[in-house]
Amino acid sequence: MIRTPLFALPLAAGALAAGALAAGPLVAQAPPAPTARQAPARAPAAQDSSRAATLPVLTMPVPAAGTLVAITHATILTASHGTIEDGNILIRNGKIAAVGKEVAVPAGAQVIDGNGKFVMPGIIDAHSHSAGEAINEGSRSITSQVRMQDVLREDAIGLYRELAGGVTVANVLHGSANTIGGQNAVIKLRFGLPVDSLLMAGAPPGIKFALGENVRQTNGPQIPGRAQRYPRTRMGVEEVLRDAFTRAREYQAEWKAYEDAKARRRKDAKSAEPILPARDLQLDALVEVLEGKRLVHAHSYRADEILMLLKVAKDFGFRIASLQHVLEGYKIADEIAAAGTGASTFADNWAYKLEAFDAIPFNAALMAERGVKVSINSDSDERARRLYQEAAKAMKYGGASEEEALRMITLNAAWQLGIDKLTGSIDVGKDADLAIFNGHPFAPASRVEKTLIDGRVFFDRDKAPTLENLIEQLKRRPRATTTSGGAL
Amino acid sequence: MIRPMLLAGFAAAALSAPLSAQASPSAVPSFRPSVYAITNATIVPVTGPRIANGNVVIQDGKLAALGAGVAVPAGAQVIDGHGLFVYPGLIDSGTRLGLVEIGSVPGGQDTQELGQFNPQDAVLTAVNPHSVHFGITRANGVTSVVTSAVGGLIQGSAALIDAAGWTPDEMAENGRAAMVMTYPRVGGGGRFGRFRGGQQEGDPAEVQSRQVRELMNYLRNAKAYIERPSPVAQNLGYAALGPALRGEMPVLFDVQSEGQIRGVLALADSFKLKVILRGATDAWMLADTLAARKIPVIVGPMTAAPEGDAPYDAVYANPGVLAKAGVQIAFQSGDGGDGDARNLPYNAALATAYGLDPEEALRAVTINPARIWGAGGPARQPRARQGGQSFRHHRRPARRAQRGEACVHPRPADALGRPAHHAVQSIQGPAPALMPPLRAGRSERAAPRRFPPRCPC
Repeated sequence: MIRTPLFALPLAAGALAAGALAAGPLVAQAPPAPTARQAPARAPAAQDSSRAATLPVLTMPVPAAGTLVAITHATILTASHGTIEDGNILIRNGKIAAVGKEVAVPAGAQVIDGNGKFVMPGIIDAHSHSAGEAINEGSRSITSQVRMQDVLREDAIGLYRELAGGVTVANVLHGSANTIGGQNAVIKLRFGLPVDSLLMAGAPPGIKFALGENVRQTNGPQIPGRAQRYPRTRMGVEEVLRDAFTRAREYQAEWKAYEDAKARRRKDAKSAEPILPARDLQLDALVEVLEGKRLVHAHSYRADEILMLLKVAKDFGFRIASLQHVLEGYKIADEIAAAGTGASTFADNWAYKLEAFDAIPFNAALMAERGVKVSINSDSDERARRLYQEAAKAMKYGGASEEEALRMITLNAAWQLGIDKLTGSIDVGKDADLAIFNGHPFAPASRVEKTLIDGRVFFDRDKAPTLENLIEQLKRRPRATTTSGGAL
Repeated sequence: MIRPMLLAGFAAAALSAPLSAQASPSAVPSFRPSVYAITNATIVPVTGPRIANGNVVIQDGKLAALGAGVAVPAGAQVIDGHGLFVYPGLIDSGTRLGLVEIGSVPGGQDTQELGQFNPQDAVLTAVNPHSVHFGITRANGVTSVVTSAVGGLIQGSAALIDAAGWTPDEMAENGRAAMVMTYPRVGGGGRFGRFRGGQQEGDPAEVQSRQVRELMNYLRNAKAYIERPSPVAQNLGYAALGPALRGEMPVLFDVQSEGQIRGVLALADSFKLKVILRGATDAWMLADTLAARKIPVIVGPMTAAPEGDAPYDAVYANPGVLAKAGVQIAFQSGDGGDGDARNLPYNAALATAYGLDPEEALRAVTINPARIWGAGGPARQPRARQGGQSFRHHRRPARRAQRGEACVHPRPADALGRPAHHAVQSIQGPAPALMPPLRAGRSERAAPRRFPPRCPC
């Protein structure tokens, strides 16, 4: 598969947008090229054959682009400056152009009636494995050279289901089999567009670290004939990290010496011709970490191992951007805050591992109270669909304020991913990544009506293939003879 | 024993009611039966209309009286229910509670026996009453759960248990609530109701049809055994299937696909089984059939992704479709040892966002499961019985509704939240259970943080 480099993305997106600028209701526009894509085929032999006979293949049309969109008379949860009752949002060229009570709707704008609706920033999932064809390069414990962006799938149905849960951005990470798992991909859930359109332009690169039980590979059964892999203990995990960054420093110094010698030679032709150092893709990524150009997202559970990691990072002079899971973060919230590190946790997942046993649902609120930028993530295609409910638990357990809880799935997650200048709140100038609910997102019985990315409606319940629609479709089809007098 | 203990904890830990001297922190809690009253609360009896400003009187662990203007007996321990809502304790119809302590630790797993056929196994035997998961579960108003084993084709009997107690027997509301079987499916799938232990090498379709034959053969043999004219060598497995084959004990099938459900219906016809479906994400395809055949469906967990290319809301909307067709439904959290049972009410609330009537959702976590699982059934039945005598199966469905199990929600609204179109109003006035009353900021927080959360019932 041909990969488009990151910098080419705005062009690609622009070209697509240019094809569909016609006025009229946003949802009624003809899909631009490429043509509508089908949902992925079912895995072979994974279903009973009877399903194939009754379920028509669903199609998800590529959403249209719009230049001027207005959402009117909605309750707007900005995540940055409180709630605006009966407010309007004006979107121009995919960016938020105006937001407030008195915002005028220009003629020609595509209007989304927000009456009775709640608009919040598109949900940002700071820990996802969606669209990843492969998750772990489990052969070695340091695999900083591998990249999630090389294994993304545009036809991952999970992306669409997450859109239907208001998610617009996901931090697609490697798994936790390795101490350093590989390079992340921050994506926008532009389901229906070509795979490279998923990558989010402007998002700084990141990398997945992991500590604890998964890295030790001690939870699963020992596979006969397979050699055990170093590390097997938390001691080993620290050592592997220090070893990797020691090598990265040496590599960095080697390249610096080379660049210095080259510079000397430019000034003085008589100085010795430097020898080009061997290129090491694994260490390249770690040098970027050392230079603060690559954000570290570290899977971690126990307080003690987190302190270890913060110390290693301090010794080598880099910052951990986010601790992932961090279920014991409440024990060391001050240390996390002092390190300028974010915490991305679960609302109330618990007890699935020994290292997850001391978890409390108060974790998110307690860390936030101590000044940690906290996000609540999914780590699951399924949970990602209802992160708004998960965030609400930070209010129930621990008494986070409404806006604080809202930020845990929007602005704080954006901050952790280094994209808070681009998205994560409803502010003028930011990307129009929005989720529209039929009730308050934190009310247990609310649902998502529309999800917009860059002002384009990527999910619309009115047009979506729902179960209700499917039942209607099936009723219109000739009835198949069934063995037990089925209803449909 | 259990109920007074529960309530003692509930009063002492949370509500700012004046307690009698015996409940002072230093005193050993008294487990003697005594009298409690919850006063001035909104009472949601589920089987009748809501009662505003009502009192509930609990005597010796049973609901002695409830209603507006019901007198509080002298000497009763009073819990001020002003601004609170009282619900029947919620019932989770599908968990591994008591069987799994920590998912990754083999020593804490008691879920899966070896072999394909274990009808003689009673899950109640493996329940650890002192599992910390029970307290976590109670903390969100769930007072009873169905717990069952996994693996193989017949797992043995499931139990409906209280989420509190000192011994398994004491916890049992119905120690033999259902015989659990797996209807094999082609391949795998699903997270909780999936076919796990029975997976074998070979072509998935061939394995599936072979296993269906094995299951039917076993049931045929068991039927022949229990109908035998004269005593032969004892077979505890066959004997344990007696009640199920006589239609006196329901058979619970964890299924997902339409094919599996049709297979179960055919099996039910062949062996005259009284079946309960659980999981059943494809049940909407057969809603009218299931309603006509009066087959209860345990839906959920809602926290499961749709299978294959099913619509994005297929799991969320399934309960609503079934209920509208007249199928009796109840919810399961699918708690596999990860603390999900406490999220049972949010499962029900999610379904209301996609078409399920909120009142039906409430019934589906209270009275419906009480009826389906035969709350008030025997704790522990004798195992194999001599001869073909009838298995006495006590079914007193609504008994638990008369007992002193209640869940008091601190939020002035439903345990399940409100339907979507009420949400705005909910924000202004009563807020749904998941969401505390909205506050402008932390500084305005009225009450100090409480550990544990305020509803430890």
